[in-house]
Amino acid sequence: MTSSLVRQALILAALALLPGVGEAIYFRHKISWQSAIPPSELVTVAQAHAWGENVIWVDARPDEEFAHDHVPGALSLNEDRWNELLPQFLAVWSPGRKIVVYCSSLSCNASLEIAVRLRKEAQLPDVFVLEGGWEAWLKRK
Amino acid sequence: MKTHILAFILSIIVCFGARAELKWDKTEVELHPTPADKQAVGHFTYQNTGKEPIHFKSVHASCGCTTAQTQKDQVPPGDKGEITATFTIGDRTGTQVKTVTVETDDPANPKTVLTLRTIIPQQLEITPTFVFWKQGEKPDPKTITVKVGKEFTVNHIKVTSSSPDFQTKVEEAGKGEFKIDVQPKETNNLVASTLTIQPEDSQKVFYATARITNAPTVQ
Repeated sequence: MTSSLVRQALILAALALLPGVGEAIYFRHKISWQSAIPPSELVTVAQAHAWGENVIWVDARPDEEFAHDHVPGALSLNEDRWNELLPQFLAVWSPGRKIVVYCSSLSCNASLEIAVRLRKEAQLPDVFVLEGGWEAWLKRK
Repeated sequence: MKTHILAFILSIIVCFGARAELKWDKTEVELHPTPADKQAVGHFTYQNTGKEPIHFKSVHASCGCTTAQTQKDQVPPGDKGEITATFTIGDRTGTQVKTVTVETDDPANPKTVLTLRTIIPQQLEITPTFVFWKQGEKPDPKTITVKVGKEFTVNHIKVTSSSPDFQTKVEEAGKGEFKIDVQPKETNNLVASTLTIQPEDSQKVFYATARITNAPTVQ
């Protein structure tokens, strides 16, 4: 009786595992942890604010959102016009300055993508992503 | 024992059958635009296989670079249609995964996430795209590496500096790779240059920046 129950439980567990395995294979290119930002690359509004003038704020949102409002002194750098905007950003950057990139909210990916390109392509150090993005900045006020 | 397993499998089939009203042919589309394309467009087709009309409540793209349009707000039973997702490539590179979230009043399946996977061909991979010298630093040359994408053939590249303060020299490193040596004439003045990198016989232009920076700021 007991062995029959165990066998049934194991069969049901194996059946339940099948959709999970299928999903893992089918969605292998967008596994959630691949896009997670390491905690060391995230910064809160309070932390970034504490860095004062040593921070360059980078707005990764589309042009129209930047034009509507942005963190005071922030530079626009988005992937729509990366080639045009990057030299403008680099003209302001100097060694030792920290870069804080933000996009609209916690769920947006643009800030992460810009941060990755600044690190990998321009090979700049001290690039951080603002936790919560523009929404977090507004809440701070 | 067999009865239990059969009941379990049947219950799964019944559940799937009950919720499959708005049936999508594909929820993930992979696109391969050409280097000249400004946009990539994905078509997600569906059919209402249920007995009740279905209404779209919202269609929301994951980024400002993607727009999504429905052909109709209401889908009668048996009707087919599609959602068109348009991804603006801009200056993006590599593989871009964007999603479109579709919400309907179908109680069995109120939310569907459609995935648009765009593989943007990269003719040249330039690393780094920025070289700099601190003011007063010895003006030694710095190297930018240019790798040609697998699906492209580039035998020569032309590099132009926007400023005479920097000199460039291109060297073919073989295996689809080039080295660009960038050297400032001197590093006393805070000057910058945009380096234009263009493959032969191509309209596409790539950029790198060279600059003399000021000393590090106090931290």
